[in-house]
Amino acid sequence: MSIRPELLEILACPQCKGPVRCEPENARIVCDVCKLAYPIRDDIPVMLVDEAQTLSN
Amino acid sequence: MDKGFKERVREQFSRTAEYYVRDEGFARGEDLSAAARCLNPTQDDILLDVATGGGHTALYFAPLVRNVVASDLTMQILKKAQEFISEEGGIENVTFREADAEDLPFPAGSFTLLTCRIAPHHFPDVKRSLREFFRVLRRGGRMAIIDSLLPDDPEIADFYHSMEKMRDPTHVRAYTRSEWITMIEEAGFINIHTKEFTKTHDFATWARRAGLDRQGVQQLNKFFIDASPKAHDHFEIETFAGEVESYTDKKLLICAHRPEKK
Repeated sequence: MSIRPELLEILACPQCKGPVRCEPENARIVCDVCKLAYPIRDDIPVMLVDEAQTLSN
Repeated sequence: MDKGFKERVREQFSRTAEYYVRDEGFARGEDLSAAARCLNPTQDDILLDVATGGGHTALYFAPLVRNVVASDLTMQILKKAQEFISEEGGIENVTFREADAEDLPFPAGSFTLLTCRIAPHHFPDVKRSLREFFRVLRRGGRMAIIDSLLPDDPEIADFYHSMEKMRDPTHVRAYTRSEWITMIEEAGFINIHTKEFTKTHDFATWARRAGLDRQGVQQLNKFFIDASPKAHDHFEIETFAGEVESYTDKKLLICAHRPEKK
């Protein structure tokens, strides 16, 4: 999984529009506010709320 | 976006991705060079191509800007676009995001340029998308939208929507020039300019690209043949031995700016 840092900067949660962080080891992008994890498939982040996994505390 | 409809859009374009990526009509077009003239891209620009489809617009602009982010609702077509751009060689500044045009996953003011070509007629809520386009563009950013132009005459417009929906049920609606200008002004854009283009479609290629089976093509052929003389004239429908060979419609390029800082 490779997301260049400068491109992660122009990525936001589609729900709250807030910042997200990359978890390369889990191949996902995480929004800590919405507690949603967006999967990365074939190096393409799937930034759809419907496809996101809800994170448990 | 309505979840059921969104799923149907994804199914439609997953099924037909290969046709769109390989389509010569999408790969070329004077609309792209006209869009470039109004966007005036530079190596400082970061461009978002919304609903990139086969990636043709992203590929066209990639050498002209610093970075391109290409988004689409359908993963399958993004993968095809990624392959297509990779095959072209020498392009390393395009990245892909699966995203909904009505809920873009980008912070405010992320892009200096935005394109969206032959896609808004699939959006259930174009006004919402335009508000998102405005949000993700930096102040002073430039936008170019290209889409099918809805004829002003209601009878012709009715024929147009009916035939588009017969071909592809995920067609929502096209808009007239004045409807576009109103929506774009309401979203906050300024310096709005438009330009019209004619596009002649090879009927068989056009019908197959949407994944119609033989029966579907025959029904659509009959719908064209039975159209009113006014519709035949307007769309320059050409037939031979009972088969539609081609028709011509119009595309609209709309360029607009997000206002500069006050």
